[in-house]
Amino acid sequence: MEEIKVQQHTPRKYMNPYLAGVLLGLVILFSFYLTREGLGASGAFKRGVAKVEQIIIPAHVNSEKSAFYHYVKNGEDPLKNRLVYMIIGVFIGGFLSGAINHRLKLKLEHSPKITSKTRAIAAVIGGAIFGIGSAFGRGCTSGAGLDGMAVLATSGFVVVGMIFGVGYLVAWFFRKLWI
Amino acid sequence: MSDTRIIKKRYIFMASVFIGLALLLVILPKKSTSKQLKPEQLLLQINDNNRYVSTDEVARKIIAADSYMQLIDVRSPGEYAEFHLKGAINIPIDSIFNKDEKGNYVYEDILNQDIKTNVFYSNGTVYANQVWILLKRLNYKNNYVMKGGLNRWIETVIRPKRPPVTATVNEMALYNFRKAASMYFGGGSVAAPAEDNTPAPIIKKKAGKEEEEGGC
Amino acid sequence: MGPLFNASDEWSFVIALVIGIAFGYLLESAGFSSSRKLAGVFYGYDFVVLQVFFTAAITAAIGLLFFEYFGWIDLSDIWVNRFYTGSAILGGALMGIGFVIGGFCPGTSACASAIGKIDAMLFLGGFIIGVILFDAFYPLYAGFYKAGNQGPVKIYESLGMDREVFLLLFVIVAIASFVATGYIQQKISHKSKKY
Repeated sequence: MEEIKVQQHTPRKYMNPYLAGVLLGLVILFSFYLTREGLGASGAFKRGVAKVEQIIIPAHVNSEKSAFYHYVKNGEDPLKNRLVYMIIGVFIGGFLSGAINHRLKLKLEHSPKITSKTRAIAAVIGGAIFGIGSAFGRGCTSGAGLDGMAVLATSGFVVVGMIFGVGYLVAWFFRKLWI
Repeated sequence: MSDTRIIKKRYIFMASVFIGLALLLVILPKKSTSKQLKPEQLLLQINDNNRYVSTDEVARKIIAADSYMQLIDVRSPGEYAEFHLKGAINIPIDSIFNKDEKGNYVYEDILNQDIKTNVFYSNGTVYANQVWILLKRLNYKNNYVMKGGLNRWIETVIRPKRPPVTATVNEMALYNFRKAASMYFGGGSVAAPAEDNTPAPIIKKKAGKEEEEGGC
Repeated sequence: MGPLFNASDEWSFVIALVIGIAFGYLLESAGFSSSRKLAGVFYGYDFVVLQVFFTAAITAAIGLLFFEYFGWIDLSDIWVNRFYTGSAILGGALMGIGFVIGGFCPGTSACASAIGKIDAMLFLGGFIIGVILFDAFYPLYAGFYKAGNQGPVKIYESLGMDREVFLLLFVIVAIASFVATGYIQQKISHKSKKY
């Protein structure tokens, strides 16, 4: 929850989650209405990796052996895609909200029961596993999950079901990280 | 988080709004969806092999006098007159979209319905497949293609090949069925129709095009 | 009549940027910039993930169907996720594990990094490593990755239900889950003083 530190400005409270949900739903709706597609996050990073590969190891990424072949084939620039601009927007929007709500603060958040180092390692490992997962899932919670459910696609529900299902299954084993 | 009381009035209001809207969607009359398939959707359907019906299946249904199957011969009227499968009607491929004086498709009642199963056949498979694709694009349902066409019909039903002695029980059973069917259809005296020598139609191209655009 | 622009038009980039800003702003405002809040859904002390996520899903789903009813959008024209059976299941499972361990997903880690959360930046670093690994060993599972494509199948088709009926059910289940988790959250966060 909020930090109890006494600073210049105490951070504002979080927005009501249901209100945020409705607004987010409207954002998704308009995304589909205007551009035929919804939100997405992991795609931008996959393209970023593809771009770097295009520069450093073009032979690899331009072959069928690369998972990102279709981002670069015919000499296309993988960064010329709305997902990349969207994630830039996410950074900006997050920053704006943080600034307005006085939540801008450099910190490594972790449960008081573990050390920063533990949290740091967990973040990297968790990120890596999630990275592999979202590559297989062809999206992340936003692209595959939210968009998928918004258009009532089976894929969306299966992915979300697995995320929460497996998440709950393994949560107990990692509870020390959080509670 | 501001609220610790779960059942607040505004939440009940919101929940009612959602349920009300969803209920409204259930009640509202559905728009008629006789839309054509977009090309990408068509491609997905093309790669689906469920459209094929085997010659054996067709034979079975004819013998059983299955009134739910409608065989449709898509060859020219001349070929149809020479020989056609029992119970088949003739709709030559180039006249599928014939219109009558009012501008309606002449054959629409037959082709676009969900009571009978239409099974198209030609000499090979090419023309029947072409018809299938055309109708699929209009999103007509219940249309199938007899795999291998009349050529395969001759091979399997009229002049079935005796399986080698190492055949399984199922293979022998199939062969016996075919022999019986052959007699039913007056087999052995039918001249083999001309081969479909046309090259593979354009549909076969780009089967491997993965549509990766879009999404996350 | 939407969709108005193609994904490759210049304008769609601008729109994407604006949508991204709104997306990031809302995520951060709701508290998705805190890994501890995010992980709370798995431990019962904070269900904000569930509340925002499913509210957004039903809002968008209802909205889309109404847009179609008014003829403002052609639903067969919008992007529908293709269902690759094996990949979806495996991907979802791995993402669930990654979420529990890392406490983020890529979108939330982006907006959290933007406000200075170092663990989010680390998560992003790890995420990129994961993506690189996926690409490095791709030939090993390329077949699996491409297999089982059922196409853009819809959930109500898979379940054999009427579309609107499914949506109604979805809304009811979602609201029921909000009520239930609301109780649970209250119970748990009153018990433990820490969070």
